[in-house]
Amino acid sequence: MALSTKFLSSIQGFLKSRNGDALRDWLRVEPPVPQEYHNLSTELKSAYRSTSAIEKLVQSCLPEEDDLPEDQGTSWPGFIVFMKDYLEYWRDVDFDDLLGAHQLLMALTNSCTTALNNPTFGTIMLQTSISLCASLSKLSMTLNKRPDLTKKLKTISTNDEEQSSIVGTTAEVIQKIFTACLTDRSSQRYAKPEGKKIGVYVFANLTLKLLFACRKTHLAKQLFTNISAKSPPLSYYPAAQRVTYLYYLGRFHFINNHFTRASQCLQEAYIQTPPSFQKHRQLILTYLIPCNILLGRLPTQALLQRQEAQTLTPAFMQFAQSIRAGDFLLFHQALEMHEEWLFRKGLLLTFTYRLRPLLWRSLSRRTFIITYVAPTEADSRKAATLELSHLLVTSSYVQKRLEGYLPARPVPKGRQPHINSMFLKAVSNSVGPRTGSSTLAPPPGGPKLLRPNEGLIWGNMPITAEHVEDMVASLCAQGLLHGYMAHSQGRFAIMGAKQAGSAVTAGWPNVTEVLVQAEDVIPGWVRDL
Amino acid sequence: MAVPSSDKAATTSEAKPEQKDAQQQQKKSAAALEEDDEFEDFPVEDWPAEETEAATTTTGGNGTTKHLWEESWDDDDTSDDFSAQLREELKKVEASKRR
Repeated sequence: MALSTKFLSSIQGFLKSRNGDALRDWLRVEPPVPQEYHNLSTELKSAYRSTSAIEKLVQSCLPEEDDLPEDQGTSWPGFIVFMKDYLEYWRDVDFDDLLGAHQLLMALTNSCTTALNNPTFGTIMLQTSISLCASLSKLSMTLNKRPDLTKKLKTISTNDEEQSSIVGTTAEVIQKIFTACLTDRSSQRYAKPEGKKIGVYVFANLTLKLLFACRKTHLAKQLFTNISAKSPPLSYYPAAQRVTYLYYLGRFHFINNHFTRASQCLQEAYIQTPPSFQKHRQLILTYLIPCNILLGRLPTQALLQRQEAQTLTPAFMQFAQSIRAGDFLLFHQALEMHEEWLFRKGLLLTFTYRLRPLLWRSLSRRTFIITYVAPTEADSRKAATLELSHLLVTSSYVQKRLEGYLPARPVPKGRQPHINSMFLKAVSNSVGPRTGSSTLAPPPGGPKLLRPNEGLIWGNMPITAEHVEDMVASLCAQGLLHGYMAHSQGRFAIMGAKQAGSAVTAGWPNVTEVLVQAEDVIPGWVRDL
Repeated sequence: MAVPSSDKAATTSEAKPEQKDAQQQQKKSAAALEEDDEFEDFPVEDWPAEETEAATTTTGGNGTTKHLWEESWDDDDTSDDFSAQLREELKKVEASKRR
């Protein structure tokens, strides 16, 4: 008997016994494969050049049977088309031509979707669909790294670039299967998933992996919308699928600056991953820690000392410390030192701009503590205030330090500045009048030229009273400061000091309490009713 | 007779001279970086909740993970160098205004 006939009769057997696992194991598409597949390919090349010949072969080997007992299955038109495409795939595929292989595999996956969609017999194709999509996704990721190959494709296609990109089209094909699973009616929405519904998160995760690897995360929105609208609760699915899904969902919310949502997803992913999966836990923490820092929830030593946090600790510890102290110098040092890593992880821009309010808050708080004089009996009813001119002095001091200005006096205690103080005095005596009003000495080589993101406001732009007032007003609007602007007096007046117990507690409320939003429903995360 | 593709790939890359050695190495290191970023498939499909921290977390969430995060971190201590520098600066600016 010819190899192709033998092969098809085995397939017929699996259909009959409704053995989806065996079907998947036999319907392989990705090398390395046993020699039989190569022999099959050779046979098809020589004996079945025409499509109609293959069609006839499949039809004769996989007859549609009627009146079957309940526990038996049979082929159906969609499956026959799929098997025809499958044999054509092995006849035509050349694994040295990746682009060609990708096109063949896309076509095959499409006919797999059609076969899967059959309401009576389609479910037997679930496992095969999963393995086909995994191979297709892998191949697409490889191609995504080979612009030399895909360039050809772009010149041929005149469509919108997104739609014609390898990743875009592959994601679309996989999402068709995902939709087929999502809309399957074998089980109620909030009941244990049955039939194709079992595959919902497998296909969601395959798509997400592809989109994240290729940095096309915006294409994930539709998928999350569909899950929110129709999916069974995530808790019904196996742990590996749950964790993987929550990881991507958390990252998606992070990218969209929804830090509270992101934090909840990533936190859940983290605690549901056993400690033995170090690499997974490390990747989750890579986003969970920054997310929480942005919400004013700083990692403790207990967390930073965990094995999986080892590589993350140096960077995140510096950021946490800079926020605590309102120390822009340390903050910019940390950004500079870890720039490449932060960029690669997609954290750089978020950290550069979104942490600033927290640093300004701490700097203003510190300025208040060191300048505030508690009222005497007589005027004890007056509100506690922060003089904005004081904040202007302290922030200008920080700005100059960022520009390389040096503290002229030896610091009273602790670390000794490495520059000779006599020299500094000499330098400060020799420069213009500004030094008369500052303890700082300009750097010998002149102020450092800052990039826009490296200054407190914008590069080397000097800080003005208006900048400071803007900043304080903005912090008030965000709730990070509690009080109001007394514009004519140039002060920030604190409200509710008596109730809070102290002016500083009232004026600078707990960051996490201000920033963490109470959200019961997180888009994309379906929980139990 | 078809040749298994892994063999094919090996022969073609051998056939090429080392011309693209540096390029390949670059590709390799980029690939290594990307792999490091990838959330790999778990080797097992499911595991019992008891093996995870979630099991010891209370129903309100965050029960046992509270010790991992610090929400009250405001620093009231102003005896550090940075505060001292700010104080000095404020004094100096104040003094220069009075002049």
